[in-house]
Amino acid sequence: MHLRLILIFFLGITSVRAEIVQKPVVTKKAVVLKIDSNKIELRKIDSQAVTVYSKQKDFIYDDIAPETLSWWDKFWNWFWKLIDKIFVNKVGGSILKYGLIGVAIAAVVFIVIKMIGLDFRLLSGKSKSLEVPFDESLENIHEIDFEEQISKALEAGNYRLAVRLLYLKTLKNLSDKQLINWLPEKTNQAYVLEISDETKRGEFSKLTNQFEYIWYGEFFLDKNTFESVNNSFHDFNQKTA
Amino acid sequence: MEQEMFNQRTDLTQLSAAVEQIRQTLGKIIVGQKDVIDLLIAGLLADGHLLLEGVPGVAKTLSAKLMAKCISASFSRIQFTPDLMPSDVLGTAVFSPKTSEFQFRHGPIFGNIILVDEINRAPAKTQSALFEAMEERQITVDGNTYKLEEPFMVLATQNPVDQEGTYRLPEAQLDRFLFKIEVKYPSLEDEIQILVNQHQQKSDDQLLEIESVLSVEQIKSLRATIKALFVEPKLLAYAAQITHETRNNKSLYLGASPRASLAMVNSAKAIAAMAGRDFVTPDDIIKVATPVLAHRVMLSPEKEMEGLTPADVIAQIIKKIEIPR
Repeated sequence: MHLRLILIFFLGITSVRAEIVQKPVVTKKAVVLKIDSNKIELRKIDSQAVTVYSKQKDFIYDDIAPETLSWWDKFWNWFWKLIDKIFVNKVGGSILKYGLIGVAIAAVVFIVIKMIGLDFRLLSGKSKSLEVPFDESLENIHEIDFEEQISKALEAGNYRLAVRLLYLKTLKNLSDKQLINWLPEKTNQAYVLEISDETKRGEFSKLTNQFEYIWYGEFFLDKNTFESVNNSFHDFNQKTA
Repeated sequence: MEQEMFNQRTDLTQLSAAVEQIRQTLGKIIVGQKDVIDLLIAGLLADGHLLLEGVPGVAKTLSAKLMAKCISASFSRIQFTPDLMPSDVLGTAVFSPKTSEFQFRHGPIFGNIILVDEINRAPAKTQSALFEAMEERQITVDGNTYKLEEPFMVLATQNPVDQEGTYRLPEAQLDRFLFKIEVKYPSLEDEIQILVNQHQQKSDDQLLEIESVLSVEQIKSLRATIKALFVEPKLLAYAAQITHETRNNKSLYLGASPRASLAMVNSAKAIAAMAGRDFVTPDDIIKVATPVLAHRVMLSPEKEMEGLTPADVIAQIIKKIEIPR
């Protein structure tokens, strides 16, 4: 049985191989072209129909209207032609070239100045004004005429302002005597701690408290109370003089 | 003389006495750290939440617990852990078989003084549970809003963010804290005193000896007094200018919000009242500027690399601005 199967398998392979090895034989037949004997009928397009169709909107594909220039466009056309006339020649060409280079350089310089934050007013000799947070910043205690300002405040009955000026005057005196180093960002308590002499520090601390109650605390101040406060400031300033 | 002339406007006797009592009570156990104690009291009086930051072992939690002990109000403690869920903080709806209905079970957030220990060890999801509670003093769960009882104060502690297992708190949450109080190492003298105190200690639990100083009603009354204190308009401008400068400073990537200006003025009022004044001075604003602003601003990456701190930048900003006088 096994032998018979092997034999069939072997014969099968051999026959397949024989089919592959054999080349197919192609027999060429002569090609015979048939002649078209149909009658050709010429058809002509009806010119009237074409005219009708060409007038219909659906068949007008080229719908771009011929360009009509407005007076504004005409003006610019005229302007640019004029510019061309002036500059498109040897002399004009160089004017345009150097003009454009000049504009470009100016633009670059402007951008650089803006980027580094240079103030143009420095070129005119004027200093750049600082952004001041409060109106007090405009005051320099070394430039205020305290006597005049205090008199004005008292005349106006503004005792609170008078005490503020008395305190600033005291700070100026202490700064002049180099007992404190006056700086706008220092607090009153910082000045108190800066005074090395204990007695003076204690007295100045009391004056500071008075000033703070009146100025920051907006405590009411009448003439008599002001006199008392004024005397204590006067005494302190005389002692430190 | 100034006392005779100027002490007629607001009665701060009760407030001064209360402040002194709290100082003494805290001072019995906390050695040194006077600035920390003052800021804790100022935060309580200014109706703010406080964040205490410091390395482990510098008495952050003890300070917070002591502060809570000084007030006779309900106290809750929540230990923030990485697996804590928002419902563990706020509470959750539980089905009741008796009534066949869901009933809301209140979480530990329902209290007067809430100690949130190690707040930055929980992820942002849990942190966000505190947002509404801290700002609006209410919580919303399952569409129902529950009001929190006044006074409501969160006292949180945290280790610095560079420590193992910590997350940076979201900016929105940091902004809700009135102060970030940095608790630093004690001085050598203070550390010796801590050891002496511990050696002489009779009771095992120091907190058992502490008695409450203020009632809920007293706190409400003191807070109302502080709110009414006077602030000169130029000082309001000064506080606003400090905050504004944080937004324009090149060293800072993120500036402080208007909430910071409000916090600065409110806490400056508390500091003024603690000093016995019913008006604010520039010194009061400067004193609170760093604790109010330092946690609300973010350094630019370059400045962070240079080793600058937010406190350094705030100090620079303050130095740039003229004192209104």
